[in-house]
Amino acid sequence: MLLENVGGNLLGTIPLGDIVLYLNPLHIFLFVTILVFTALIAMSRTETQVEAMFGSLDENKVAVGKKEFKHRRFLAIICGIATAGAMITGDLFNFTLFMALIGIVNIGIVSAVKQVEVLNSAYQYGLIAMMCGLPLFGGAAMILAATGTLSLLELAAIPASPMMIFGALVMLIGVCGESGIAPFFASKAEMFRTPGSPFILIIHLSSLFIIVRFIEILLTIL
Amino acid sequence: MVASLVPQFVPAFYQSMYATALYGGLIVAFIGLIGIAMEKRDIQVLILTDIVGLAMLIVVAAVGTDLSEALILPGLVVELAEIMAISEILISREMRKADKDTSFTPMPLDINMEIMTTAPNFIALLLIGYGVFLSGFTGGAVAGGGIVIYVLSRKARGLPIVVLDGVGAISGISWCLWIIGFLLFFLLPQYWLLSLFLAALGLLLKVASKIGLIGILMREEYGRK
Repeated sequence: MLLENVGGNLLGTIPLGDIVLYLNPLHIFLFVTILVFTALIAMSRTETQVEAMFGSLDENKVAVGKKEFKHRRFLAIICGIATAGAMITGDLFNFTLFMALIGIVNIGIVSAVKQVEVLNSAYQYGLIAMMCGLPLFGGAAMILAATGTLSLLELAAIPASPMMIFGALVMLIGVCGESGIAPFFASKAEMFRTPGSPFILIIHLSSLFIIVRFIEILLTIL
Repeated sequence: MVASLVPQFVPAFYQSMYATALYGGLIVAFIGLIGIAMEKRDIQVLILTDIVGLAMLIVVAAVGTDLSEALILPGLVVELAEIMAISEILISREMRKADKDTSFTPMPLDINMEIMTTAPNFIALLLIGYGVFLSGFTGGAVAGGGIVIYVLSRKARGLPIVVLDGVGAISGISWCLWIIGFLLFFLLPQYWLLSLFLAALGLLLKVASKIGLIGILMREEYGRK
């Protein structure tokens, strides 16, 4: 499929040596949205969860300490920037790296919480993310082996061969696992049950954006 | 691998190795996944997951071009970072279950052997000297290894360690040297030798002090017990 059909008209390219960024309306929209959200996160303060206690009129407040708050805010900003990078990149190689970075940072954001169930689900998600490193990097390597390039502009011009389709599907599995969407979601859903709302939300938002972008990449290269 | 993409001088034997290596990697991953499915203890599952990560390296390395090598390096780093993060989560979870503080103290050594009084000083000096001679990233790693040996052997004998608290600052300043060196490369290419040495020595100090910091962290962990 031609580039112009998927994300709107090609507005231009930014050549930085081997790395060529190409801009179209979809990319710019996703990039600006995630950057705005990241800026909001950088300014915001964390929430305090209030749980009603059973059998009495008391309530239990679960607050986030200042050190943990700073740690989480830093990781959330890194996650936002990595997602923004994955939105604008014109290279399957950089996309893979940004995806892996988001996977690690997602684990990092919840790594300092105190609830045992949240730590348990973060552990499960971490195992899935590690196993899905194989299809993610392996899929990119198969596309590289089939075509000899990872630049999206060049991949779009090459007609799809069976090996390239196989590599792209393997990579789709990898992206699903690393971002923790549908088939792997059960491991990730529990991770949100911790105080510190805006920073936890970036875990969710980054996986949504990544999937939108990867579907666009698949439609472009196949 | 598509034959038309491969340069002429690559022997046919190596070209035919790609499918073998790919299947090999997938089989290794499959064995690892079977192990994960059968194992119930968390720490064993974590160790077995590393096998899948190694299989990823095999699959990427099978392509064998410089771009695939560029994929291997971040892949390896990602694997290491994830396994460290997950093991940290595992430790934190178990400590919280047992209702202890999460600070994790490794074995408190107190060994007094004669060889540990003289040899570490000499080995550390040798390693640091060789590291300075090498310069760059490798030199930094070698010199940092020397510092770690010195700190660890002193600690193992139960002696106080020289305070290395300023090392973090050295690390930061030398990082700036490295960046300045890189900038000079692009801005004033005629001073390439100066910028090369700035970058090399900055990286040497940076890596050496970073590895030396491991010694400081370890001392803090020991001191906490």
